[in-house]
Amino acid sequence: MSQYSVIGTRVHRVDGLEKVTGSAKYTFDIVLPNMLYGKILRSPHPHAKILNIDTSQAEKLIGVKAVVTGKDTLGKKQGIWRRFPELCDEEILCREKVRYIGDPVAAVAAIDEDTAEEALDLIDVEYEPLPAVFDPMEAIKEDAPQIHDGVELNINVTRHIEWGDVDEAFKKCDHIREDQFKCSSQAHMCMETHDAVASYSYDGKLTVWTSTQSSYYIQRLLADILDLREGDIRVIKPPTGGGFGSKFELDSAQFCASVLSMKLCKPVKIVLTREEEFTATKRRTPMYYYLRLGAKKDGTLLAKEVRVITDGGAYTGMGATALYLTGFFSSFPYKYPNYRYDGYRVYTNTAPTSAMRGFGAPQSTFVGESQLDMMAEDLGIDPIELRRKNGMTPNYEVPGQAYIQSCGLHQCLDKIEEHIKQRGKLPPNHGIGIAAYGFMSGGIFNWFDTPYAFSAAIVRINIDGKVDLFTGACDIGQGSDTTLSMICAEELGVHLEDIRIYSGDTGICPADLGAWGSRETLMNGNAVKMAAADAKRQLLEFAGAKLGANIVYDMDIKDRWVHLVDRPERGVSYFDIVKEAIRGKDGEVIIGRGHYTPHRKGMISPAYSFGVQAAEVEVDPETGRYKLVNVTTAHESGTVINPVGIEGQLEGAIMMAGGYGFCEDQPMDEGKILNPSIADYKLIRSLDMPETKILEIDTYEPEGPFGAKEAGEGLTNPTAGAIANAVYKAVGVRINNLPITPEKVLRALREKQKQKR
Amino acid sequence: MKKELKLTVNGQPYELYVEPKTLLVQVLRDHLGLTGTKRGCNCSSCGACTVMLDGMAVKSCSILAMQANGTEVLTVEGLATGVQLHPLQEAFLDHGAFQCGFCTSGMLMSAKALLAENPKPTKEQIKEGIDGNMCRCTGYNSIIRAVTAVVKGEYKEEK
Amino acid sequence: MIRDFEYFAPKTLKEALTLLDKYQDECKVIAGGQSLLILMRQGLVAPQYLIDIKGLSELSYIKSDTKEGLKIGALTTHRAIEKSPLIRKKFSVLAEMERRLASIQTRNWGTIGGNLCHADPAGDPAPVLIALNATLSMASLKGERSMPVEDFCLDYFETALEVGELLTEIQLPATPPHTGTAYTKFNVIESDLATVGVAVSITLGAGDGVCQDIRIALGAAAPTPMRAKKAEAVLRGKKITDNLLKEAGEVASTGAEPISDIYASEGYRRELVRVLVTRVGKEALARAKQA
Repeated sequence: MSQYSVIGTRVHRVDGLEKVTGSAKYTFDIVLPNMLYGKILRSPHPHAKILNIDTSQAEKLIGVKAVVTGKDTLGKKQGIWRRFPELCDEEILCREKVRYIGDPVAAVAAIDEDTAEEALDLIDVEYEPLPAVFDPMEAIKEDAPQIHDGVELNINVTRHIEWGDVDEAFKKCDHIREDQFKCSSQAHMCMETHDAVASYSYDGKLTVWTSTQSSYYIQRLLADILDLREGDIRVIKPPTGGGFGSKFELDSAQFCASVLSMKLCKPVKIVLTREEEFTATKRRTPMYYYLRLGAKKDGTLLAKEVRVITDGGAYTGMGATALYLTGFFSSFPYKYPNYRYDGYRVYTNTAPTSAMRGFGAPQSTFVGESQLDMMAEDLGIDPIELRRKNGMTPNYEVPGQAYIQSCGLHQCLDKIEEHIKQRGKLPPNHGIGIAAYGFMSGGIFNWFDTPYAFSAAIVRINIDGKVDLFTGACDIGQGSDTTLSMICAEELGVHLEDIRIYSGDTGICPADLGAWGSRETLMNGNAVKMAAADAKRQLLEFAGAKLGANIVYDMDIKDRWVHLVDRPERGVSYFDIVKEAIRGKDGEVIIGRGHYTPHRKGMISPAYSFGVQAAEVEVDPETGRYKLVNVTTAHESGTVINPVGIEGQLEGAIMMAGGYGFCEDQPMDEGKILNPSIADYKLIRSLDMPETKILEIDTYEPEGPFGAKEAGEGLTNPTAGAIANAVYKAVGVRINNLPITPEKVLRALREKQKQKR
Repeated sequence: MKKELKLTVNGQPYELYVEPKTLLVQVLRDHLGLTGTKRGCNCSSCGACTVMLDGMAVKSCSILAMQANGTEVLTVEGLATGVQLHPLQEAFLDHGAFQCGFCTSGMLMSAKALLAENPKPTKEQIKEGIDGNMCRCTGYNSIIRAVTAVVKGEYKEEK
Repeated sequence: MIRDFEYFAPKTLKEALTLLDKYQDECKVIAGGQSLLILMRQGLVAPQYLIDIKGLSELSYIKSDTKEGLKIGALTTHRAIEKSPLIRKKFSVLAEMERRLASIQTRNWGTIGGNLCHADPAGDPAPVLIALNATLSMASLKGERSMPVEDFCLDYFETALEVGELLTEIQLPATPPHTGTAYTKFNVIESDLATVGVAVSITLGAGDGVCQDIRIALGAAAPTPMRAKKAEAVLRGKKITDNLLKEAGEVASTGAEPISDIYASEGYRRELVRVLVTRVGKEALARAKQA
């Protein structure tokens, strides 16, 4: 029997009813009185000077209320790595230069969308095209065009991670492999595109409704760039149609709508088109990988050297984090005694690359797990055995970097091994490939430079026992509203339906860094638990007096029953205690406060989740086409708070990560994305989705609320690598650059046949 | 020049005057305020705008409103009867068959249309039934489980 | 965004043809609009006058003709064809092809006529109709004319329809005995447009198993759907063997004119033609033997 009443149970999402009835109002649906519609004019050139912008004809168009350009802004640059001003390199509305096809140069507000769009055609921009560079390998050369002033060789960020002595260690290895890989970009493809409704009032207050992963970040970034006080900006996150990493930076819809609204003192709504979504919002960071791996002949991994060049696109965004994390997670999930990583993020004149679910780890897992299988084959060791021999274990310290408390990797390996055995002999052209991963539960390094605790929550108990939970955490579909409500209910000892959550509204919720890096459950969960415990303590003060129990007895609340822990029959109704507590405190409202910032956990993450995935493919050797037959994942994420939520995250991750391995791609020509539509950007649909199986491993993470840690982002790490390994097992060819398309497979098969002759 | 458009939406008759270039989805969302139906693309690929027209699942972004003249349209707002949810809505809640919810309206309408035509579809037919609806969150399998549960009769029959 | 237009919803074919005659090339015809509206929303097509023929129920039908063939009205929806018991019985390959065309929503409203007039070289119906030796009819105020489907597409998105003409009907001749037809398209995502599409129809002689007639039609392998006549010649009049099917595939591959684009290179498309002609040929042969 579970020790918990709420967490671990299968519940309806707390926002479920409004979503299944179509009554949830997304930013996309918001209509306000006197609201205007905005559109953004974007650069058709990958790199150019802006000589002149003539907006006079557009302004004359009937129905147009305002046209703004970079000259109408304060000319400030902003960026999400606020701690390092040189990385805050994006003005959004460009003043002197454009750096990618899609870079905004003007925005229009009009009485309707069609008029706004028509006005864009009437804005005359005089450009002086500059030489452009699209490949980071070219951009890093001496004679390449310089994209940002003062940035030599277009090297935006570098990162170095090292422990042990890699060069010495390689000398001791029995076998060394060197391999190169190319990881592609990927589009987030949120069903709701970036959008915002900004409303600036005459008293100088700006309210922005927007589809976002972090209303606090947007509030702070708007305050920076508009020179407004943080408290004069209120950012409200309505139900949001997906984020996946694309929506926690300040985007052009939010900024331009705000600038226009400030000019007109009227609400302005901007909804990016799907084409803008593909071309002018940020995307997954493409990476060029060089890996050197050394082992003893018994399979002990001794040394790993990693060199990466990432394609930064035109601006930094969150790219610095992706650069760092890909280097860190290249060491996961194994114990390398000697390790060295050198990463370079290089600007190019393409759409900026930034954060996307997995944050550099899907890339590092694809390359690392592919190479590991190759090493296993070289050494004649079973791939699971090789992973077992070197896999991380609980309470392991990544030298100088991180401390891993809970870790269920080995149990996951066992489960997958069992699964593969049970599958038995495979039909011809079938193959099962595996990949292991580990991922963080939120990040620690304070690149945003926030003075606030990373997560905070407030609990307020009403006279009728109904609990209001205020938290800055943002539910973008991943279910944090439900998970956090469950944690609150569990801690406070009430039912889930007693909790009402207010989230993602900077006007009423305490700051939270937002939904990225898979941090909400652990970080905000801890804050919520603390707030609920604080409120509970206040209730128990009165219960103690009422029950008059011996001092040696503890009290607690469970199932709306305030009682002595050791004598649960002695107790009183939660509802009664609430009334007494409020009355007894002079009518004062019961408020509980909680916050959480990881301390003394290193600079990366307070906890890590692990898993192993097995993908089975069926290849058609005559065409190279393959089907994803089955994807089975053994994973552990500490205590499972919201099982329905985790299952959903896992299956959704397979669709996204499978797509990364299988079909999603953004081919470019001279900086222009060639497939900016859902018809042309290939995604897995219901007929393409494999059978999925989840094998849950029980672990407990001391740092997390009730022992919970991340699930949802880590699960996007393994699939591309598992597919690569599966294709190799099926037909004996290995593809080292993503996506693994049928054409690449067929070409490799033909090469192989040629070599045989 | 505006033209007269007469159609029934969720059982309610409407008489409107619209520009001929108006799409059905614009009538539903902008003229009638039924914002449950969403738009997610500009190339008729995502299915977020799916409604039922004369019993068939269609993409409302890809139909001129004038072509819906004289027809009966059902949107997600017409699924529940008062506060009594449709079995599909109950099943979606039970099976976590949605996350961000933006595709959900269209998904529900495709599922309803499927079951209206074929009350006992196979798993493959369910997959086909929703293949025109893009979802980025769930990976589809929970949706298939939800529809399967309704097919199996786990929910009260609708009136 | 869609530009303004003047809108007409004629109630009869005659009314429609009169409008087409009046507005000539300043008007566009919309049937299901599943292809046209995408172009109009993106501003690529902006007619001054739009003739909406979706309501012409007189052009929506599937009926046998006296000689056991089939007539399909141009405004018949894909879905109606997919589900028609008559088509499933007599021309099942058409129903199979429709089942993987786009999505149910598209098929519920889009029409076979609209699809053919859109003339996307990657379209599914054209190769299948060509393999089935179909013809089609067009009408204008001046009268009617007919032609084989394989002559209808002239170039990318261009048909033989003249100004003032409307596609009215598709005719399928009766299937000769011992005939089998099959279609497959290659794509990475199910129900996606064809990267390459192949339809093969084989008619065997009674009892002797010799290939009396064969039609191989390719989609997305040239600017228009094309007959692979040289490949057909490899098999016509002969007893079909695996080797001959392989040879036909190679000849079809050489004779195709595929392009390179972001989905596939020219070389890969040729490979696909080669492999699929052989495969679909095998399937058609098996069906012919059963027939």
